[in-house]
Amino acid sequence: MESVQENITIEDLKQGSDRLFKEIYEDNREKFLNFARKYNLSQDDTIDVYQDAYIIFYNNVMEGKIEGFTSSISTYLFSIGKYLIFDKMRKNNKTINPDFDLSLIRERDALVDASFDLDLDDLTTEQVLLKKHFSTLGKKCQELLTLFYYRGYTIKDIIETSEYTSENVVKSAKSRCMKTLKERINSNSNE
Amino acid sequence: MNNQDLIYHYFSNSLTAEQEITFKKLLETDPDFKSEFDYENNLKKAIKSHESDALKTKLQGFESELKTPKNTNFKFAFLAIAASLLFLMGWFGYNSIFRTNYDNLYASNFTAYPNTAYSITRGDDAVSAERDAFVAYETKNYEKALDYFNEIPEADQKKYIPFYKAQSYLIIDNLEKAKPLFIQVVSNKTDFAAESTWYLALIAIKEKNKEQATDYLEKLIANYSYNQAEAKELLKKLN
Repeated sequence: MESVQENITIEDLKQGSDRLFKEIYEDNREKFLNFARKYNLSQDDTIDVYQDAYIIFYNNVMEGKIEGFTSSISTYLFSIGKYLIFDKMRKNNKTINPDFDLSLIRERDALVDASFDLDLDDLTTEQVLLKKHFSTLGKKCQELLTLFYYRGYTIKDIIETSEYTSENVVKSAKSRCMKTLKERINSNSNE
Repeated sequence: MNNQDLIYHYFSNSLTAEQEITFKKLLETDPDFKSEFDYENNLKKAIKSHESDALKTKLQGFESELKTPKNTNFKFAFLAIAASLLFLMGWFGYNSIFRTNYDNLYASNFTAYPNTAYSITRGDDAVSAERDAFVAYETKNYEKALDYFNEIPEADQKKYIPFYKAQSYLIIDNLEKAKPLFIQVVSNKTDFAAESTWYLALIAIKEKNKEQATDYLEKLIANYSYNQAEAKELLKKLN
């Protein structure tokens, strides 16, 4: 299993393969549960943290914030996981157990640099509204806007990876989608 | 470069150092620019959250898959598998010796009907749902083809569209949707009526409905010249 992962590159992951997404999750799960044991969380909480850490890692890959792996995937997951566990404890006002090594998480690990987005943040009211109406858009609009904003694709990247044939087609499709979204939000606020 | 382009380059991480300076300056000095940027930045967060929700659902699915095997009683599961294997072996044995093998008959007679209706020329800039549909159809992307076929406005529906829609449904195994479309083509007596009769016969075979298959094949032989030899051969094998 280890050897499979060592050969996985950022580019492989960025292809968005479901099989790889699942494989990496399953391969690192035990390791993570063992690693997190020392923080005395319940099994369900630990799994929840593991999933969130994995999503943060995956989002950063998809958004192009990790250029290349400087460490094994599990090391990334541990670093993010530590940060999340600490955050969870702080929010729950839990006393940190005596063995908890604060120095580990006081600073962001060098591995996870400043451009790395660690938050699965709480959304503002406007963002909640945008999310609600975004999910009512047609599949094509959702895909296009996701490539633009989540993946940070250029128009050229989009032409290369989808069925859009020219820059103008992409641009006009995008502005149609944005217009529909704005209209839906406006009609919502008039209700 | 206009302001909209600057925002676009920001989100595709492709601002040059010089553009970045202009960008930051505009954010501070131009309230309209700032509000447009804020809107798109909020949208980015919203989309990311939407993606994260989908990922979380997937991971919870993996988790419940991992947990299920532990809950089943091994001995019972083993017996159940053994029993169903015996049952299946018995069923297939019986079926292949004494019954017509409908699946084989279907598979050896079915071929997807080629696109003979719409010509896709290279460099053709025309953008239409119909063109997209046939491009998808020719590249064997039938689900996508159906999406496009269904997008064609009522007024632009050519007579051959229902036939190709039916083909696509048949190929992806959605017989319920394919059948009424073929029936519609036959009853409208449009171009693909003969072909549709043939495919209706194949659907009946797939559904192991010998009577209906015979009926369609006889109609094909009596009324049309298409696939006469194949229809006669198939009739023989059915009876």
